[in-house]
Amino acid sequence: MHVVFNKRDPIYLQVITHLKKMIVSGQLRAGEEMPSRRQLATQLKINPNTVQRAYSEMEEQRLLFTEPNKPSRVTEDPSVLQQLKKEWLNQAIDQFVTAIDPIDLSIEDLLPLIEDELANRKKEYR
Amino acid sequence: MIELKDVQKQFGRKKVLNGVSFTVEKGEISCLVGVNGVGKTTILNAIMNLTPIKKGSITIDGESITPSLYNKIAFIPDAAISLPHLTIQESMDFMNDYYDTWNPKRAKEIVKFFRLNPTDKLRDLSKGNQAKVNLLMGLALDVDYILMDEPFSGIDVFTREQITEVFSSYLVEDRGVLITTHEINDIEHLLDKVILLDEGTIYKEFNAEIMRETEGKSVIDVMREVYNG
Repeated sequence: MHVVFNKRDPIYLQVITHLKKMIVSGQLRAGEEMPSRRQLATQLKINPNTVQRAYSEMEEQRLLFTEPNKPSRVTEDPSVLQQLKKEWLNQAIDQFVTAIDPIDLSIEDLLPLIEDELANRKKEYR
Repeated sequence: MIELKDVQKQFGRKKVLNGVSFTVEKGEISCLVGVNGVGKTTILNAIMNLTPIKKGSITIDGESITPSLYNKIAFIPDAAISLPHLTIQESMDFMNDYYDTWNPKRAKEIVKFFRLNPTDKLRDLSKGNQAKVNLLMGLALDVDYILMDEPFSGIDVFTREQITEVFSSYLVEDRGVLITTHEINDIEHLLDKVILLDEGTIYKEFNAEIMRETEGKSVIDVMREVYNG
């Protein structure tokens, strides 16, 4: 796991974004064990207190859960996972629309472009 | 907690520390930042009682510094601390004989962590490996507080990375760490508290993550304001 952090945003928020992305993309599966706070801190070369804060926040958002004396796990609650995906998608669409808004294109013009890009990426991954 | 209150120090007529106050908490990494010559090392020496202070107080967990408190605190200086003709293993044996707080098991783990070769003689080590040996000698002590003077100065980028890893590892778990540096770039993400020092006084003391969160500023941004403004 390697993350490039920017220096002006709180690191714990950047960690949360990173972990959310891993959950949305299936790199972290429902119910999967999370690395310990210290393991993740060492991997990311950040302060363990920062990871602690990210985990606590994600527990509050019910994305992670921790049973006493056990490692934290990714939620297994389908509604929470669904909500996360929705949130991720909304954010991506928001960014996309903000970026293309200045260019005057209709949805009919855009769709084939998006389809092409998706097809290209699938090819690259193969 | 290490607490400095209004610490003043003079070398001859020159005031080096001019009313320095700050705290170092357990479980946190604090960093004294300032250009060369602003008194960072003097502060560490004062905490270790290696140099007498003129005014003010320094306490560790509420007690003033006495030799018995050295069981609570380790100082890792910038310069080589062991004898050059010894091997790493011999240096560790020496530490084991002289320090009650030496933890041989942890020492072994650190040697592995840094990929050091215990049979190497200290005088044959690269600068980077010398820095690692210095850290080894301090971190293997079972103490609550660790002071490190410029752990990152003059070493290559890969050694820097390894040393950086130490700070997020269990090797400093629950301890209070105070490091000094004049170069903060690669370690911003590691720090809890930043103490900006200039000409013997503290310009600003802040939590790095809270600074990012409330003001959207990096540690370097704050330093620019302080030192250029």
